[in-house]
Amino acid sequence: MFYREAGEFKTSYPADQQIFPIALDRLGVKIVLVFAFLVVPFIIDDYWEKSVLMPFLVWSMAALGLNILIGYCGQLSLGTGGFMAVGAYAAYKLMTAFPDLNIFFVIILAGGVTALVGILFGLPSLRIKGFYLAVATLAAQFFLVWMFNKFPWFYNHSASGQITAPERFIFGVAITGPEAPPWATYLFCLTIVVLFAFVAKNLTRSVIGRSWMAIRDMDIAAEIIGVPPLKAKLTAFAVSSFYIGVAGAMFFAVYLGAAEPTEAFGIEKSFLVLFMIIIGGLGSIVGSFIGAAFIISLPVLLKNIMVGGLGWPTDIVQHLIFMLIGGLIVFFLIVEPHGLAQLWRITKEKLRLWPFPH
Amino acid sequence: MATSELYLCAYSTLSQKQHDRDNQVMMPDSVVDDVLLSVKNISLSFGGVKALENISFDIRKGEIRAIIGPNGAGKSSMLNVINGFYHPQDGEVWFKGIRRNNLKPHQIARQGISRTFQNIALFKGMTTLDNLMTGRITRMNTNMFWQAIWYGRAERQEIEHRERIEQIIDFLKIQSIRKTPVGRLPYGLQKRVELGRALAADADLLLLDEPMAGMNIEEKEDMCRYVLDVNEQFGTTIALIEHDMGVVMDIADRVVVLDYGRKIGDGVPDEIRNNQTVIDAYLGVSHD
Repeated sequence: MFYREAGEFKTSYPADQQIFPIALDRLGVKIVLVFAFLVVPFIIDDYWEKSVLMPFLVWSMAALGLNILIGYCGQLSLGTGGFMAVGAYAAYKLMTAFPDLNIFFVIILAGGVTALVGILFGLPSLRIKGFYLAVATLAAQFFLVWMFNKFPWFYNHSASGQITAPERFIFGVAITGPEAPPWATYLFCLTIVVLFAFVAKNLTRSVIGRSWMAIRDMDIAAEIIGVPPLKAKLTAFAVSSFYIGVAGAMFFAVYLGAAEPTEAFGIEKSFLVLFMIIIGGLGSIVGSFIGAAFIISLPVLLKNIMVGGLGWPTDIVQHLIFMLIGGLIVFFLIVEPHGLAQLWRITKEKLRLWPFPH
Repeated sequence: MATSELYLCAYSTLSQKQHDRDNQVMMPDSVVDDVLLSVKNISLSFGGVKALENISFDIRKGEIRAIIGPNGAGKSSMLNVINGFYHPQDGEVWFKGIRRNNLKPHQIARQGISRTFQNIALFKGMTTLDNLMTGRITRMNTNMFWQAIWYGRAERQEIEHRERIEQIIDFLKIQSIRKTPVGRLPYGLQKRVELGRALAADADLLLLDEPMAGMNIEEKEDMCRYVLDVNEQFGTTIALIEHDMGVVMDIADRVVVLDYGRKIGDGVPDEIRNNQTVIDAYLGVSHD
């Protein structure tokens, strides 16, 4: 009735190949973007920034990256935490070595450095597949975290072994450092995430994205019809690591402000991102966002309802949240093993035909 | 084109083939300057198992060449050698008059060889359209930066190749499943989409590995027409493996017969039909 493509006739290939072919989708995306860019910055406060919006943006970015690698190219990786650490340390070294460099370029360059490291650790994927590759990338996770602890050069020989983000400005507004206003950090990260979400969408619907998916679905056939496996796999590792590196840089420089590798970038972070894309939906851009929102905001929401709304004791609520989240994950995976994005897709398919089922 | 018209066209193609073949018998064997691909003394073994032994034959431009033989004869191995998935221990492959060195399969695809597979090897998570567009990858190339912003060369290229893909979609009459993930399609349609993916490369040589396996008689007839039409309309040279002898004898120009990795027959269908060795290989010889 209200969501349908009936009556929309495409008369040209450009119209059929645009990024959101359905008019209502375009409208929906515009409304969300306008709200996120023009309304949220005026109502955001410190609590919302620190506990909901910033983690959501950072982890969405990491989930996008991992989804490109696992969801689109089918290469299993458990090195996410390590690659985020590379992004964070690259950002730190760039910020301290080039104090005049704009923080935006610092974050992008940090992503670039991570992409190179990602290519290096992606090399085993040319020989090994599946779970064995996951184990190989696990080596990246442990090696990178160990390296950042071991060599003082990475944390500029600071006594605590921590890295701390110095204050950096864009247009005179602090983006990093303790004085940064919530709306500025939020807008900064939002811009990067939205920009690269569109880039990811474009990549996945063009030649390079199709060769990733071909490798994922049937690698031998893909090679025989002309997809170079080396190029496809390594670009997937590079692009994915770039996203994860940018996420790591934002996580450290903008969100945390200070970080210590074992704490901030441990193996549990790798699994966290993996769970996000499995629950959100493998091979789906919007799924990365849904997964991040689910894992990040649900605990906050439940806590607010139970502690703030119902006045239950905090410790009981904490345990209840664990149980509820675990239960919901199992529930959603049973109902829809392909993730929340698939649920959303099926809803849309049903809505297109509603109220006439055939 | 109306459907009946297409059918007529296919039938006339059939009889035309028949006619050509009758003439061809007279042709001297020395006319080989139009050879597209030839394999010379190919031997391939896996450990102690000899898959192919000293096989030589050629494929001429514009013909339909059938490779037949009982199960395990080495037919699929032969195709895998031709498109570079296996590297033979011995022998040479000549394509377009040039001796080929050990290239990777994707480089060989770029030279103009495409194929379909015995067990459907489509990209199941992708739509029909995306599968066909992937088949065209050998003809597409843009740098990742333009693809990322979907602008300029990348966008133009998508549109341009989409037009060619749509012609193939029309040709195979799969318009209605354009946006359906191929994993959801029935077997017969998947086979057709796979043919489409191989066609999308606009290759010079098309290798079809049992394109009619597991099909009923109507689907087989359809597939035969598509194969013949590809050969006639696009001028594509076709090498096909098929077990249905009726089909092979009807559509092939020349047939090569393999058995236990050895070549036991090579010639036009009528010769093959009367070749005693081939008949023995297929029917078995009584041991008394």
